[in-house]
Amino acid sequence: MPSLPTRTRVALLLQREVGRLMAVLWIPAMGFALRFGLRYRIRNAAELRNRYRALVRGSDGPVLICANHLTMIDSALVAWALGGSWWWVFNYRRMPWNLPEYTNFAGHWFNRALAWLAKCLPIVRGGKRSEVSGVLKRIQHLLSKGETALIFAEGGRSRTGRVQLDTIADGVGRIMNSVRGCQALCVYMRGDRQRSWSTIPARGDSFYVDFELFKPDSEHSGLRRSRDFALQVIEQLVTMEERYFSRSGATA
Amino acid sequence: MTKEEIFEKVVEIVRPYAKDDDAMEAITLETNILQDLKVNSARLVDVILAFEDEFDIEVEDEDADAVDTVGDAVELIHAKVA
Repeated sequence: MPSLPTRTRVALLLQREVGRLMAVLWIPAMGFALRFGLRYRIRNAAELRNRYRALVRGSDGPVLICANHLTMIDSALVAWALGGSWWWVFNYRRMPWNLPEYTNFAGHWFNRALAWLAKCLPIVRGGKRSEVSGVLKRIQHLLSKGETALIFAEGGRSRTGRVQLDTIADGVGRIMNSVRGCQALCVYMRGDRQRSWSTIPARGDSFYVDFELFKPDSEHSGLRRSRDFALQVIEQLVTMEERYFSRSGATA
Repeated sequence: MTKEEIFEKVVEIVRPYAKDDDAMEAITLETNILQDLKVNSARLVDVILAFEDEFDIEVEDEDADAVDTVGDAVELIHAKVA
């Protein structure tokens, strides 16, 4: 894995440490907004968070969180679901880095500042491959240093309301292929009232969240190996989704 | 294999993924695969994997980063098959 220029590494360090200093403000505020502003509820939150914390304590390698994607605030919801608020404040290094679509939040300086504080590395989907690659290299670097990142395996929000096998984000496989020992934490999350994709979930929605850790393997090499990894992650999410629908009896 | 021959094959491989028929008809080495042909970024990997199969080459992730235009693809393939 190629090393990053010193300037880029310093910029990442600065971003993380400023975020950490401000964490006592922005993380509880985010949790408060989700819980009391939007009145969201994570089903079995305590059990889920205990499971996640036990997994983190027992994990001996880099973890890439790979989630399904239905709304624009999924990364915040996943983080809140897995860690709550205060746990992230005291375990800030574990707080996942995110790769939001730049055009979704770049319109206002406040959004850009908040995204920077919240460990976001903006990416332009469909942009120049060299620029996309630069962002992925930063994530690879961070994971190799023991940090956590969150990526949406489908690339964008699912237009069908179900995990889409035909829109695989190659970044997922590429990161896993290049970071030694990297494991995928597949997270399936869905609000009870979420029928399709949307900007945010319905106010007052209750969320089902499940996760599974697994390490993809492939007999291929190069780009084909990366694609194979990405496909395995997506298939894992499809399996988790099928389990959700078979348990809940809901339909998308 | 000459660059012209590679170009011909690249055009045929890219064709099913292109969403802009006009750009496809006017395709040149300078044509940008994502922006001009409107190939979905997720599908670009499929295109490059199809290059691997067609030309019996192996492409690394870093090699794929250099592929923005049809000409980039031709150069990459030409270097690999040479």
